[in-house]
Amino acid sequence: MTSATTTTTSAVAVRDALVAHRMGPYFATPCGVLAPLLTALEDRADYHVVAREDNAVAMAAGVVLAGGTATVLMQNSGFGQSVNALASLVVPYRIPLLLIVSMRGTPPDPTPENLAMGRLTEPILAGLGIESDYLSGRRADEQVRAARRSVLEERRSRALLVRPDEFDWEA
Amino acid sequence: MTVPSDKSVRPDEPFDEPLDEPFDKSAAIAEVLACAPGVPTVFTTGFASRVAAALDDRPNHFYMTGSMGLALSVGTGVAMGSGRTTVVVDGDGSLLMNPATLLAVGADPDLPIVHVVLDDGVYASTGGQPTPGRRADLGGLAAASGYRTVREATTRPALRAALCSALAADSAVFIRCPVQPDAAPPGGRVTPDLPGVAARFAGSVTGGSRFPAPPE
Repeated sequence: MTSATTTTTSAVAVRDALVAHRMGPYFATPCGVLAPLLTALEDRADYHVVAREDNAVAMAAGVVLAGGTATVLMQNSGFGQSVNALASLVVPYRIPLLLIVSMRGTPPDPTPENLAMGRLTEPILAGLGIESDYLSGRRADEQVRAARRSVLEERRSRALLVRPDEFDWEA
Repeated sequence: MTVPSDKSVRPDEPFDEPLDEPFDKSAAIAEVLACAPGVPTVFTTGFASRVAAALDDRPNHFYMTGSMGLALSVGTGVAMGSGRTTVVVDGDGSLLMNPATLLAVGADPDLPIVHVVLDDGVYASTGGQPTPGRRADLGGLAAASGYRTVREATTRPALRAALCSALAADSAVFIRCPVQPDAAPPGGRVTPDLPGVAARFAGSVTGGSRFPAPPE
């Protein structure tokens, strides 16, 4: 099944960077901001839709324990859901993942139900010791290359944050 | 309690446990260790990990010390990433905390996962409070999520037979074991060297060093 969302130039650039740097498999959870990227990835055999973000994080951790790389795609509301999996599995066991986290509740997203996680996402990542950087379609190739190096050589998880309008989402 | 050997047992192997030995959590875990030596095995947090580490601390063991409810998700990822049969030793409390974890297996039911749920009806490691699963049908949840094979093993010989058949299957198998809580708590906590647990397990799964020890 192919989704109804169309993709965008920036989302395709991010997809191409992820694929070029072999960051799959991809564990995806629902997100309107990420929808164009999810659409660009969804026909791949290594793309898996997961029901909850913490489950996606743990599945990705299992793939890394089996010697691979893995990327989790989630909205920051679901990042809240996954904090325990990061804090008690990924970080203390040093299982390096790539997280792509959309930043609901930050400009230009005014939705009140997302404002608290909008404020909390970066401080929580910092508290977990996971470095983060805002993803841009234009710089995606170098950003994903750096993330791959961080994961494979430094064995550290890395987060790439996605502004609400990066892939043309509108409130 | 029989100390498990490194040699896998056969389903028809004579069973040398006295028949009046209780079928408790430790007996079930000892049976998993006897039937699946060398097979990547993820143990849920709480007493399951501590019992397994105390019985025999093997490189193919991954001990969860936190992340209650996520043992099956980790095992699913290991099976996906390695293509190897992977055993998950779960508990009723863990599964009830996160039954959504069943859906990922149901979405990909040909993954070689042997999911053993030790159902003692209590949160053993937090003081033995009852779980809310008395009326829940855990096997029914697995079947409804998409598992093709759901079994129940109520004795240690039955668990041996179920494990031998599940380890030879090429799709996910769910085995619920109603067990008694252990009479005594297990030995101490598993090692605090969690990066070491991960690196050793990864080395066992990949048969090499594709998961180097992290730099200090």
